[in-house]
Amino acid sequence: MSLTLLIFLPLAGAIFAICFPRKQVGTIAAFATLLQVGFIIPVLLNFETSVSLQQAVDNWWIRELGISYSLGLDGLNVFMVALTVFAWVIATIAASRRKVDNPRTYFALLALAETGTLGAFLAQDLILFILFFDLLLIPFYFLIGIWGQRRPRAATAKFMIYTLAGSLLMFASAIAMAHISAVQHDIGQVSFAFEDLVQNPVSGGAQNWIFLGFAVALLIKMPLPPFHGWMPDTYRAAPLPVLIPLSAVVAKLGAYGLLRVVLPTLPLAAQHFQDLMLVLAVIGIVYGSVMAFSQDDARLVVGYSSIAQIGFVALGIFAFDDKGVQGAMLQMLNHGIVVVGLFLVIGFLAERAGSDSLSRMGGLAKSAPLLAALFLVISLATLAMPGSANFVGELYILFGAFDGAFAYGAVATAGVVLAAVYMIRFYQRTMHGRGPGEGRSREIESDELGLLAPAVLVVLALAVYPQFVVKRIAPAADSALTAIQLPGASGVSKQSVDGDAGEPAARKNDSGAPAAKRPSTKGERTR
Amino acid sequence: MTNAVTPLLAHVGHFTQVTTSPMGDAAPVWALLLAPLAGSLLIALGHRRLPERAAGWIGTAAIFVAFGAAVACFFELQGMDAESRHILSGYAYAQSLGVDFRFDLYADPLSVFMALVVSGVSALIHLYSVAYMRSDQGYGRFFAYLNFFVFSMLLLVLAGNLALLVIGWAFVGAASYLLISFWYRRATATAAGIKAFVINVIGDVGIVVAAFLLWRELNTLSIPQLLAAASDPFSVTPSATFTAAALLLLVGAFAKSAQVPLHTWLPDAMEGPTPVSALIHAATMVTAGVYLIARFFPFFELSKTAALTAAILGTATLLIAATTALVQTDLKRIIAYSTMSQIGYMIVGVSAAAYGAGMFHLMTHAFFKALLFMAAGSVIGAMGGVQDVRRMGGLRKAMPFTYVTFLIGALTLAGLPLLSGFFSKDEIISYTFNRGGAYAPIAIALYLGAILTAFYSMRAVFLVFHGEPCEEARELETGHLHHGEHANPATGEAEDTDVGFPGADHHIAEREPEMKVAMGVLALLSVVAGVIQVPGVTHAVDAFLEPTFASSRYLDTAPGTGAEQLGLAIGGVIALVGIALAVFAYFKRRGITETLARRMPRAHATLSNAWYFDAIYDVLIVRYVRALQSLSTRVLERFVVNGIVDGTTGLVRLVGGRIRALQAGLARVYAASIVLGVAAMVFYFYLAAR
Repeated sequence: MSLTLLIFLPLAGAIFAICFPRKQVGTIAAFATLLQVGFIIPVLLNFETSVSLQQAVDNWWIRELGISYSLGLDGLNVFMVALTVFAWVIATIAASRRKVDNPRTYFALLALAETGTLGAFLAQDLILFILFFDLLLIPFYFLIGIWGQRRPRAATAKFMIYTLAGSLLMFASAIAMAHISAVQHDIGQVSFAFEDLVQNPVSGGAQNWIFLGFAVALLIKMPLPPFHGWMPDTYRAAPLPVLIPLSAVVAKLGAYGLLRVVLPTLPLAAQHFQDLMLVLAVIGIVYGSVMAFSQDDARLVVGYSSIAQIGFVALGIFAFDDKGVQGAMLQMLNHGIVVVGLFLVIGFLAERAGSDSLSRMGGLAKSAPLLAALFLVISLATLAMPGSANFVGELYILFGAFDGAFAYGAVATAGVVLAAVYMIRFYQRTMHGRGPGEGRSREIESDELGLLAPAVLVVLALAVYPQFVVKRIAPAADSALTAIQLPGASGVSKQSVDGDAGEPAARKNDSGAPAAKRPSTKGERTR
Repeated sequence: MTNAVTPLLAHVGHFTQVTTSPMGDAAPVWALLLAPLAGSLLIALGHRRLPERAAGWIGTAAIFVAFGAAVACFFELQGMDAESRHILSGYAYAQSLGVDFRFDLYADPLSVFMALVVSGVSALIHLYSVAYMRSDQGYGRFFAYLNFFVFSMLLLVLAGNLALLVIGWAFVGAASYLLISFWYRRATATAAGIKAFVINVIGDVGIVVAAFLLWRELNTLSIPQLLAAASDPFSVTPSATFTAAALLLLVGAFAKSAQVPLHTWLPDAMEGPTPVSALIHAATMVTAGVYLIARFFPFFELSKTAALTAAILGTATLLIAATTALVQTDLKRIIAYSTMSQIGYMIVGVSAAAYGAGMFHLMTHAFFKALLFMAAGSVIGAMGGVQDVRRMGGLRKAMPFTYVTFLIGALTLAGLPLLSGFFSKDEIISYTFNRGGAYAPIAIALYLGAILTAFYSMRAVFLVFHGEPCEEARELETGHLHHGEHANPATGEAEDTDVGFPGADHHIAEREPEMKVAMGVLALLSVVAGVIQVPGVTHAVDAFLEPTFASSRYLDTAPGTGAEQLGLAIGGVIALVGIALAVFAYFKRRGITETLARRMPRAHATLSNAWYFDAIYDVLIVRYVRALQSLSTRVLERFVVNGIVDGTTGLVRLVGGRIRALQAGLARVYAASIVLGVAAMVFYFYLAAR
């Protein structure tokens, strides 16, 4: 029950906040998000490494359609949930600093987006996942379209087309998967529960088609080239408090979907398309990096660098090695945290320089040494400087990639060097030299520090003791690949892909269903 | 304070103290590592509240504490049995799925030797900086960075886990970047910073890949375990994987130690303040590559290919750098090229299994090269920021102390008999000769380098201190310290003095006791440090390092005492020949160098441009990356990615335009179409499923 509470707490807080006068809505909403911090910390501390699915909720929702309201917390999503709360707390406080038009709608939509995101991370049923996944996008359309800048409508339209196309494909694929699974395994009751879909996978040929539907939807969300066309316009248009959660958290949902849905339920197709996905991942790394150091808009530097970073995540996932998955999960968290910091800094810089353009900045460090120092910490973490938790993630990804797909890992190392190029360039172009920004620059103010300091402190804390995260997610990294059958130590046999997958006994019962908590699957219950 | 660290870490969890000797106490090791970090944090967080110039003394004190802790580690190790002479202590940092990534400190004779050199020389350079940087606006920032650097360097040498070593390795690179770009309003300084940083990251990547290969072969990242496994001839046999791993370690070593072909950042790094050049780009960080080879010596003994590659590239570097140094006109760049060249000697030494000799030369080089940079800093102070040796001259009378210390540094570098550089360099050459085979021609090249070294070191002395006194020298003789125009020495661009550029006032050793003490101690060490390892008389370095290198397969290739003494004699003669040539060229036959340069313009241009490495990289790499960049921006992004969607967007805009009268009309249409579309699909599949 407590997970339901967690999901709807943001919405409840926002409803509470909009009862207040317009001027106070933002402040109340910001305080309401702080409540969630009190909620999430015990969740992290009490997280049991040894139990796979915790605090599970499992009820039928629309039994006739096989849709259940089931939620659960495990190593795969626990830090994503924490990241969601963190990003939204910072974003809501950042939003409350500024006067906005229609604050009630604005904060309500922001909170609705958080509810959707939390729900998507916690859902253990495919339809529920997709429902939350689409629910969270609607507030983003309005937030960007109404409160955005620089041709927000056009940006929204693009964002809309991309995500809508993806969502519909995923939705169709989901329904097809459950339907075909029920038919092929001769089960009367259709079920969308992950657990059932894992136990009764569809056959190889069907998997491939379904996989493509999911892959397009999730790659758009991440985004990886060539599905990133929505990113530049959306990043330029979105208000920063909206962009923070969009980039830090929502983009991670794509990678999360691969780990939660695609690898366990479509293992044969995942293996079939392994090389394709690895190629896309590596292209993302190189392309994102090269683009990141040719941008003039600070937001797009971060936008393209995120493409490169998410490329690393995809590389870790599709190397089909537990270390790679571990690294991917770590990197999803680490990158989310640094992106929160980066966009905060970009906001501060833009306020000083009067523009997001790097050519209008330069020399900002002169009168803002503390801001420069904090930005440096975030920048170094972003480029996965050894000594940051991002390096731990990258190390695991590279180790996994070297073990599982050496050639791709070798190409990806170029991305490590390029990351240094674009982040140091970004830092220097804004802070160092003598630029037009120096005259208008001023030191970070206490309320700005209050926003940025938590991000920097989390980065530093994880840098000193990444084991806190590492040990909590390692079992999930291990089990995410249970369905993937690797002949020998590495490499994937293409022959098994085309075989009939009608025999579920070949696969282990996987992915986070402890026998004690969920003794039987729904399919069996109905029979 | 440091004693409190252990229980604190224990509380955090997974803290295991692994000490194999009953006397092993890890407290001094942690104190050694954490004292500079504490100094750095104290200065960074508190320098606005502290008295104005407290940062310098806090920073210096922190490093002296670290040096004390290093001495304590030394005595603790000496009190242990030779077979188990090490301390290992740490906690699980990111350990899972068979990857044993731990924060382990490992203090054995080799790492403690390095820690002593690093903390000792650092302490003196901090002391020097207290005076040298006094007028700089970034005084607090400077010492915060400098202390952070020492922390990073100690983390590098004390790391007991290969992944932790990568952290220290990258941290020194970051500290180096911060200090090269210290005067961050100079465009040349920031450009030099990014170059150094990126080349260093290439090195980091090399070590990460090497770490993977070693981990896959030997299932551990723990350095003591890796070394133990590699030293055991029954468990490990030479293989392509080990060769690859050793070569990748070399990528890291060469990037850090500015060896060909990854050396181009070091001359540019002279943009940093002179104490930084002394500390990071001469005495400590750039020798990390030598330490890395010595640390992982069993792997270089396993792979003859890797060891020989290192020796050949080290030789190439020392010749390229020494010839380039002959014609450079920037005082700091002359010393920088000489640093590259001397590190080439050390690389050859440790690659030829002359570990004691290599480390010995690392130590003496740290003394005399730090001294040379400090004296150069004093000269640059007297010249009001000018670094061009052609503008200098006749400073001998005006700055006697600086002259004497610079001369001692230059003579030690030249290998004048009985000074410390003479013993350490010639020991490397004797070992290399004794290895024979491919190493014999290398040893001859080392002698060639020695003549060049002697020549260019004396050239610097003569150009700066002898000859006609320049304007600044005459002013100084009358007691007035020249205030230069504040201009970037590299470009002539005007400086603003409020963030750096050695400040409004310059400082010279003659007038600053802190600088005098630091330079005096190093001058003394440069002269006498040789006595600890004189062939046939003393062998303190070899004896101390013996437990680390006990398992070496090349213990029997050490030359006999007679051979070493013969080598010393030859080396002494060669140094004297080089010095004599310089005297000839700059006193007896003035102008002969200019004539030579005129006669051979192409050769002179090649050397002036440092063998055109920067130009070659520009053609080979930078331009391709730029082309890729413009391809991405102009073609892929515009047509391929946007083209697909812009078509669709245009269509929607057409439809949307019709209903634009409604506010947010578009979004409503979209929302409605989602709901309808979704409903339609649910309906279809639901029916189909029946």
